[in-house]
Amino acid sequence: MKKIMTKKDCLLSIVTLSLLIVCAASAYAHHSFASTYHETKTIKIEGEIKQFQFRNPHSFITVEAPDEQGATQRWGVEWGGASQLGGQGVTRYTLRVGDVVVITGRPGRTAADHRILMQTLLRKSDGLNWGNRAGEVVE
Amino acid sequence: MLSSGLRNVILVAGLLFACTPVYAQIDFSGDWAPIMHEDNLERVGGPMLGDYLGIPINDAARRRAEIWEASIQTLPEWQCRPHGVDYITNGPSQVRISKEVDPVTRAITAFHAEWLRSVDRTLYLDGRPHPPEWAEHTWAGFSTAHFEGEMLTITTTHIKEDYVRRNGLPRSDKATVREHLIRNGEYLTWVTITYDPVYLTEPLIKTREYRLQPNLEIQPYPCTVVSEVDRPAGTVPHNLPGTNPMLKEFSEQYKIPINATMGGPETAYPEFRSKLKQPD
Repeated sequence: MKKIMTKKDCLLSIVTLSLLIVCAASAYAHHSFASTYHETKTIKIEGEIKQFQFRNPHSFITVEAPDEQGATQRWGVEWGGASQLGGQGVTRYTLRVGDVVVITGRPGRTAADHRILMQTLLRKSDGLNWGNRAGEVVE
Repeated sequence: MLSSGLRNVILVAGLLFACTPVYAQIDFSGDWAPIMHEDNLERVGGPMLGDYLGIPINDAARRRAEIWEASIQTLPEWQCRPHGVDYITNGPSQVRISKEVDPVTRAITAFHAEWLRSVDRTLYLDGRPHPPEWAEHTWAGFSTAHFEGEMLTITTTHIKEDYVRRNGLPRSDKATVREHLIRNGEYLTWVTITYDPVYLTEPLIKTREYRLQPNLEIQPYPCTVVSEVDRPAGTVPHNLPGTNPMLKEFSEQYKIPINATMGGPETAYPEFRSKLKQPD
């Protein structure tokens, strides 16, 4: 008896195909992450978004959060490019100034830059998160 | 008045000329996706600081790389720089190659190579000369090409300064780049040879592979200059000579002797292994 594709099968196929298309079109590091960030270290910050720049080659989130000494710093968090994030449902309206977020990532090699390569993001108000699903890696 | 015999000879010759194909050109046009197996670690995540292994650099290149700081790429002048002619095939950018055809001879007179993340290049096959040495340098340079059998050979000059690796290793604007495109069905081999009299002691040769992908989507890739890092105006990230503490990381992490990781032509050859010293 011929198997009829259920709605669930159809949806799964569409999602899988979309992911494949996204992966095929995604772009890797414009610059060398290994040269720019400490890839063996992790840093975690919690603070308020001051700016969200959704663009290519990489989006940037400016977050005001304390450093290890407790001094408030403006952190530049590097995220995926608009092309990459757009395929994952992120838009320029996904994050807003004033959102409180918890971000983990790789610290920049130039400490004074207060720069982070995003690994995970969590918006505390509604649980919006990034970095925990397949494909959610800054490229 | 021509004799009938001579007229017949001319007629036959004319017919033969009209029927014989003048050009043996391979069509490289299509949408090509890069195959990233070769040198994957360097091409995807990027090289570590101090990893100059296998690159035929000289001391001048080493000095430039030593003082380089990755943060320079956050400057407005750097943020939207495209990968240069001889680097772009390293990256994961898809490329669309289209052709221009002469309407009379029906010969291909140019190819246009359009990458996801670089400037479009025109490869002229019409025999035009390169501009004089003092002409403008651009990211794409000036490229002429000709067929050698079924292989397309491209010569590019007038390229802006760029890099051979994304960890500070420079490539000067005096370089000439020679490329060979070899098509094997749905596979394309792209050979890139960089001749740089300023920073390389030998030609740097790389091969990259592409696969034809008719359903490929090459999206627009607009780049916007923004403020990525807060810093005082006029600051240029750099390291003073001898002050970069991270240059030995690669050597130490992978237990490769420093005289190998610092590069140079001899490090590109397997015979170099007999000269290796243990890490300090």
